[in-house]
Amino acid sequence: MNKSKIVVAITIGLMSFMMIYIMMVQINIVNEYDGEEIEIMREAELKTTLAAYKEKYEEANNELIDTKAKIEEYKKDEKTEEDAIKLLEEEVEEANMLLGKTDVKGQGIIITLDNGEEEGIELTSISTEDLVELINELKLAGAEAISINEKRIIATSDIAEVGYSAIRLINNERTTAPYIIKAIGDIKYLQSALNIKGGYVDSALAYGHKIKIETQENMTIEKYKKDITMDYVKK
Amino acid sequence: MNNKKKIAVAIGIMCMLLTSAILIQLTTIKEATKVVGTTYAAQQLKDEVLRWKDSYENLYEELEKARIDLELTRQEATTENERGKELEEELSKANKLLGLTEVTGTGVIITLSDNNEITTKDSELELNPSNLIVHDGDIRGIVNELNNAGAEAISINGQRVVGTTAITCSGTVITINGVKLNSPFEIKAIGSPENLFIARPGGYIEYIQNRGVNVDIKKSNEVVVPKYSGTMTTPKYMKTVK
Repeated sequence: MNKSKIVVAITIGLMSFMMIYIMMVQINIVNEYDGEEIEIMREAELKTTLAAYKEKYEEANNELIDTKAKIEEYKKDEKTEEDAIKLLEEEVEEANMLLGKTDVKGQGIIITLDNGEEEGIELTSISTEDLVELINELKLAGAEAISINEKRIIATSDIAEVGYSAIRLINNERTTAPYIIKAIGDIKYLQSALNIKGGYVDSALAYGHKIKIETQENMTIEKYKKDITMDYVKK
Repeated sequence: MNNKKKIAVAIGIMCMLLTSAILIQLTTIKEATKVVGTTYAAQQLKDEVLRWKDSYENLYEELEKARIDLELTRQEATTENERGKELEEELSKANKLLGLTEVTGTGVIITLSDNNEITTKDSELELNPSNLIVHDGDIRGIVNELNNAGAEAISINGQRVVGTTAITCSGTVITINGVKLNSPFEIKAIGSPENLFIARPGGYIEYIQNRGVNVDIKKSNEVVVPKYSGTMTTPKYMKTVK
């Protein structure tokens, strides 16, 4: 009698243990559901992820080829000191170009954005959010250089408004509508990104703004005119 | 005898519970794999994504090594020359400004997270759940305001904001530098902590806080902003005007 009780207790104990174990396994499976998880992606999502990885791979590969070529150049036997200096100068020039410290030219688009009017009265004026969103879309479309009313947009650029003033501060310089936004990059990408359904052109028109997009085979974007510094960075 | 019956019933109930637990789990797993797609084509697509992810990661590792190698080679080639040293310094300064190195300094750390419990101040806002979550426009707004306050380096969940950084939404996640990120969002900025403390009336922080989004902002003497984890290649379309 006592023996069978023990057996029963052990059996029930084992069963409970198994049940808890199974539950934990299940909870783990549920926990693994994460936005990044490839395991649970749908087909369309998989396709875009695949395309993104292919693109990233190609970009990394380009930089790798570039870097290796530079290493080769520096290591060339017949290379003189002057050659090395010249190479270095080229590298500095490219870094400065990427920073926005040089005037640049190339193909791209020019967007003219202005406040809408009705019977001579200005409608909703273009906000900083408008301009921030537009710049973001241009970057997404691969713009290599952007300026608004000749104010170059760099990584730390900001757009501010003060109260209800029509004046906007870009890089702390005053400007106002109309805004002439220039972007250098692949004309096709830049145009289609803005004109896509739900893209910037759509929202600008919905707000009653006036917007015009032109293409240019060769235009110039001016450099960022102030110093770029890091005073609060310790290392 | 009576006791035995009781035990038999208890074990019977236990078995039933166990069986149903197993069945529930089986269905869960089946559903999970169903999302991936039971078709052979979807499975292949998944494998392909994993393969490309792998190759990209390996390639990126190689790239990191090559970058260091280039730096050393460059130093070696120009070490004997005054002008060379000067240029070398200019280049490393430019690379730092471009976001290619990790930087540390004073600043602020802002954490934004979706509000899953409805606790908005304004009851009307509760009606729209979209108000309670962090949007791509919110991150752009805060980055813009931090830049206005003089931020020298910014990162969001480890993604450094560089000149080409786009912040967009793709479904339920936010994509920055092509990487998908989920709430909570930790925004780190280096600069004057006083200036960067942007929780002010009329500011963006106040606006999203009122909307119901969870916001935390704190000053710090040691903010570490990681380097840009993407690639920087020679631009295809722009040329320097000489």
